Amino acid sequence: MTTAIPAAGWTGALLGLAASLVLAVLGFRAQRRPDAVKHRQLRVTVWLMLGGAALSMLALEVALFTDDFALAYVAETHARSSSLLFTFTTAWSGLGGSLVLWALVLAGYTAVVARGVHGTGDRLGTGALGVLGVVSSFFFGLITTAANPFEILADPPADGPGPNPLLRDHVMVAFHPPMLYLGYVGFTVPFAFAMSALLLRRGGVDWLRRTRRANLVAWSFLTGGLVLGGWWSYEVLGWGGFWAWDPVENAALIPWLVATAFIHSSVVQLRRGMLQAWNFVLVIATFALTILGTFLTRSSVVVSVHSFSQSAVGPALLGFFVLVVGGGFVLFALRGERVASLSAPESLASREGVFLVNNLLLSLLAFVVLLGTVYPILIEALTGSQVSVGRPYFDRMAVPIAFALLLAMGVGPVTPYRRATAAVLWARLRIPLLAASATAAALALAGIRSVSVVAVAFLATGIAASSARQLTVTAPSLHPRDVVRVLRSQRGYWGGQLAHLGVALVAVAIAISGGLADRATVTLGQGQSVRFAGYSVSFERTEQHRLADRSVTDAHIAFRADGKVIQVAQPRLSSFAGQRQAVGEPSVWSGPTRDIYVALADLSPGQVTLNLYRYPLMSWLWVGGLLVMAGGFWALGGRGRRRAEPGAPTPEEVPAHA
Amino acid sequence: MPRRIVNVGIVVAIVVLAVTTVGLLLGGSGGRDRASELQQRLRCPVCKSVSIDESQSQTAVAMRRAVAEQVAAGRGDAEIIGFFRARYGDWVLLDPPFRGTTALLWLLPAAATFVGVAALLARARRVVPPAAEISAADRARVATELARTRTAEQEP
Repeated sequence: MTTAIPAAGWTGALLGLAASLVLAVLGFRAQRRPDAVKHRQLRVTVWLMLGGAALSMLALEVALFTDDFALAYVAETHARSSSLLFTFTTAWSGLGGSLVLWALVLAGYTAVVARGVHGTGDRLGTGALGVLGVVSSFFFGLITTAANPFEILADPPADGPGPNPLLRDHVMVAFHPPMLYLGYVGFTVPFAFAMSALLLRRGGVDWLRRTRRANLVAWSFLTGGLVLGGWWSYEVLGWGGFWAWDPVENAALIPWLVATAFIHSSVVQLRRGMLQAWNFVLVIATFALTILGTFLTRSSVVVSVHSFSQSAVGPALLGFFVLVVGGGFVLFALRGERVASLSAPESLASREGVFLVNNLLLSLLAFVVLLGTVYPILIEALTGSQVSVGRPYFDRMAVPIAFALLLAMGVGPVTPYRRATAAVLWARLRIPLLAASATAAALALAGIRSVSVVAVAFLATGIAASSARQLTVTAPSLHPRDVVRVLRSQRGYWGGQLAHLGVALVAVAIAISGGLADRATVTLGQGQSVRFAGYSVSFERTEQHRLADRSVTDAHIAFRADGKVIQVAQPRLSSFAGQRQAVGEPSVWSGPTRDIYVALADLSPGQVTLNLYRYPLMSWLWVGGLLVMAGGFWALGGRGRRRAEPGAPTPEEVPAHA
Repeated sequence: MPRRIVNVGIVVAIVVLAVTTVGLLLGGSGGRDRASELQQRLRCPVCKSVSIDESQSQTAVAMRRAVAEQVAAGRGDAEIIGFFRARYGDWVLLDPPFRGTTALLWLLPAAATFVGVAALLARARRVVPPAAEISAADRARVATELARTRTAEQEP
């Protein structure tokens, strides 16, 4: 029994590795000579790969649930006392298991791609399967070598330490990592199609059309993963914030920014035939950045809440990153001339012009964040001296770009293609401009003196009003049926508008919760009270609870208004068996207008030191983030666009060279 | 012309609102919290990439107290930052100063911005002959098609 499960998991990983290698060979062979490979062979290989990954994952879960401590991964990350939920999520709480999940997600995406390849005549598709085979070979290779979770211990311990305390305290561990992986890994698909198109010397929009779904799915999940990550950090880390510009947070943000740029620039290519070469650059960069992000997380080059322990996967990932960047851009350089678009925008004052500005801004933002993230690592590696790059740097660089993006968001979607005259823009923007000015003036009159809050409110109102105006003039009537029909007929456009609205809401929530926050640090004896945010806040008592895997001390902090208890906040401190450090968890009292955040700074018998925060409109940050994700999914929904006929030769859309 | 009056009215309203907003924002200076601003620029030595403003560790609390005391004593921003820099080195500054090893951190974004804007302008400056005017017949066709689409039955 003890060796059957590790053996099954190991077999699954080996099967996955073998199938990926075969897929790489078959895919590229089919791309070169479509008759040399049978369609069935490709399909069977992909199913074997998916089966291998699923078997590995299943074996890992079974080993966790049966407390099979002979398995090295279980011994390192599991404890008998873990609850069912956290036993389940432990499968991706450690390095080896997280790579198994990665491989499973990648195999899933590969299977979806394979379903869309209806025959070996589809050379773009078979080539993409080949690239996916190469990428999965690498990840299955890691699982079978450097990060093998299925190692068998000769002398199994009776119990283990359990996962990192932060990973067994909040239900978000079941959602944030898988969502992030669905996003991160999904970008392999556009990369695979782009590489395949370059190998075929075939530019055009075919590869863009075929990767639109995968790209939007990946982008939406990555958006969700980022939002949930921020929320999780806010709910458990207790420093009162949701985004620390931590290297690993940045590692997820940078590909998101580049992928967002790609979503916009792919529209320009589909509509106006421009930016063909640039789209290849963005797709290769997005994928390369996901690998770089994985490297930052899984090697110990950065100290962060996300870091896994030191291991040999770091050099392997760095090598793979170099390979992706080198291989991708060399191929692009060799074929770039063939795929370059010959048209240019007639004027910057046009939809495509604003798209170009958007791409410039998003790329700059991604570049700045990347620079700030890797700079300290590079400097330390090269000179040995330590520098810090933190929030003040990132804020100073990112905030102006973010404002410019918000401005472009308000103007771009109503700017006509080709050429916009001042008269058209004025007609479309005068009402939004009026509404925005009114909001700004109202806030200033209400006594808000923060320039950033007023400016963000101005831009956000403009975005919302411009979007609403566009809807009212596009819909034949304001009857809900007609409005829904418009929203459904142009899913791409309106999904984008929904995402923009979400971004505007996020910007408002960030500006207001940051700019108008109240904060106090108080030390209270038992029974003492203090006034905060209009409440009388008092320290009632502490309680000790013993749970299966931890002992919890919670402080009861009562909030009273007019003598009545409105809310009892219970920030707490948990000590886990087998873990040295106690973990504090703040108490967050959320409402539509404000959050009250209570974090324990110090707890001694009869006395407590609290950090109290009042954040206006905080919950709207998560709502806005989820709207952005919903926008991505809305754009996906409905019937797909025209689909390339299976096996049919696709017209070469690249203008021939003279 | 009523349309013209509407336009002028909107312009006037926007200008009035903008002047009000800007005037109010310039007039009232929300007192800035110097101590908090300084704390955000100092890295907590025992934490994971957060400033002492955001950390609850004892070191951060002690450093916050030191900042508050020095602000109260009337010392300048540079003096206070220098105090911590002398103790912990440049590493403690989350906002790296411009010099030797950090110069690229400031020069590269500037260079990237320059290159990006130049590329953008170069693209847009390629002169393309203006498109031919649309004929009246085509305009009419577009109008009919548009009307047809708008009144079309709901999609199946």
